[in-house]
Amino acid sequence: MTPIDLQDRAQYLSLALFAQQIVSVLMEFVDEKKSAKLKSALEGALNSLQRAKDPTALSKSKATAFGSYEQLRTLEEVWSDQDRARAVRMIRAVLRAPDSPKSREIADDLIALFSELQNQALWNFEQPKPVSPRVMQRLCQLT
Amino acid sequence: MPTDLTDILHDVTVLHRFVEFMDDYCRGQERSQTYADSSGAFFSYVRSLSAGIREELPRQIELATRFPSRLPILRSRMLTLKRYLRLLHALVKPAADAHVLTIPAPLINLASDQLMTVEAMRGSKIVVLLASELMYFQWPHTEIKIQARFVQDFIPSAVFPPKLGFIELPYSQGPSFFTNLAIYHEIGHFVYEELSTSVPANPGFSRLRSRIYKSLKRALPARTKDPQALTVALRIIENWTQEIFCDLFAIRLVGPAFSLSFIEMLGMLGFLSRSSSIRFNPTHPAPAFRLAEHVRMLRDDSWWDAIVDINPNQKKILEQLAKLPSSSYRFYIDEGRQGLQSLVTIFLDVVTPAIRSLVREVTKNAACSAKQFTRDREIIERCLLAGVVPHKPNSVPLNPVSIINASFFFYLTSISQLIANFEKDGEHTKVDVHSKWTKRVEMWTMKAIDERFRKVKVATHGPPTK
Repeated sequence: MTPIDLQDRAQYLSLALFAQQIVSVLMEFVDEKKSAKLKSALEGALNSLQRAKDPTALSKSKATAFGSYEQLRTLEEVWSDQDRARAVRMIRAVLRAPDSPKSREIADDLIALFSELQNQALWNFEQPKPVSPRVMQRLCQLT
Repeated sequence: MPTDLTDILHDVTVLHRFVEFMDDYCRGQERSQTYADSSGAFFSYVRSLSAGIREELPRQIELATRFPSRLPILRSRMLTLKRYLRLLHALVKPAADAHVLTIPAPLINLASDQLMTVEAMRGSKIVVLLASELMYFQWPHTEIKIQARFVQDFIPSAVFPPKLGFIELPYSQGPSFFTNLAIYHEIGHFVYEELSTSVPANPGFSRLRSRIYKSLKRALPARTKDPQALTVALRIIENWTQEIFCDLFAIRLVGPAFSLSFIEMLGMLGFLSRSSSIRFNPTHPAPAFRLAEHVRMLRDDSWWDAIVDINPNQKKILEQLAKLPSSSYRFYIDEGRQGLQSLVTIFLDVVTPAIRSLVREVTKNAACSAKQFTRDREIIERCLLAGVVPHKPNSVPLNPVSIINASFFFYLTSISQLIANFEKDGEHTKVDVHSKWTKRVEMWTMKAIDERFRKVKVATHGPPTK
């Protein structure tokens, strides 16, 4: 047996920590001009966003988030499809030209996006929700 | 001082006091009680995390002063760290309660020894937790490890011990033996989590996952293929997979005694009626299906022949439920709604055969022997009937799995005979007398396992030094 409630909450906390890691790395990049961890953190974020499209895709990439229902739901609560596409574009832009002054502006926007995600994950950790009726309905036998 | 800065200073101070308490608590417990090494490793982690956080906190105030626009983000950071500590906090007290006098140490030692024979689990450690709930759990540690890695970015000195798992026992069952055989199933969860997330990936688990993913995609109707529905369907199949893996893992390590203790527990929880036993739910496969897999594994490993002449009621229940046709299994997504039956079909036809092979592969050096049980059984039963700790006259240690199985069957079938040997006529119908002798059988069983453990230890490491 596994304590399910704890398992669900833990998923939200992992997402909050994932988002926090991205935010911390971006803050170091913008505020303190440090970029040692930038590439690996942003690549991890890209892989994770890729996995969000198909959680059953077998991939060798290191996706650290969005493999569970709780994390996907949190993502959908806080980012629209356009936000996701914008985040992917911004991450790619920073990765392409980390030394460009424009990249720091973009990174600042990314900080705002990932902070929102972190805060929503923390909120859901406190107020975990059951699987949505829409999703449950899809897993029911049609009568 | 600006209000926002006052706020973060307050947050940081609260956090400082919290980790200081956790550090003091772990230190105090370790001073006053004796713990297994695994609990010590966990307490060390908590203490190094506490020390690291206290060291890091002044830097957060410095950042808040230098970059005031980041104050809300820095406060979220403190909040996230507090939530992580909250999860650890939930583990520290039950771990502290589980010192060597409150847990079935001989069984835990034996199970830990057996775990070392599972090749990929060498060096792993089990932290025992004593829970307030009357249930056995394996505390999922994959997420804790993921979280610990993120936290380590922030507190580099806090390294979560590798291969550390958490098993929870109900505190009331700590000193008993037979019901605690459920820990083998929980250890199975630990093994599954550890190997299914290992880096590099374990080939057997990768094959299993690939099979699950492919069959899910093929079998599910189009409407379920949005990412959220897929993750839920995937979790359901993974929950079932883990449960069957853990049952079969437990049987491979400890034989039919596990199935018997499982039947006792299902009976206690009220899952043995026909209607309950055929129900799959989102977290567990149908008990009847689980028992069918038990019987299949016991037959394949020659245990069924070895226990052919022992027929406690629990074995009859096992046989009856295992015989229910798989066409009668139903999946209920909740109390009233029937879930997609195709999930059960995939699970039975595609996933379960892969689980059976995987369990065999994982336990190839750890499996127990029915033949040994057949050789040892008579002497163990004779010792128990004579009211002595099972042993061989030549002081060669008995096989521990033989001791467990023979004692368990003895407990289920021969307690009345034991009572007749030692008590006055008519005493065998008294509950307190039964309870007393059951406790004694458990104590003798534990003692026999402990003796064997010490003999093997002396043979390996020499006698203890002063």
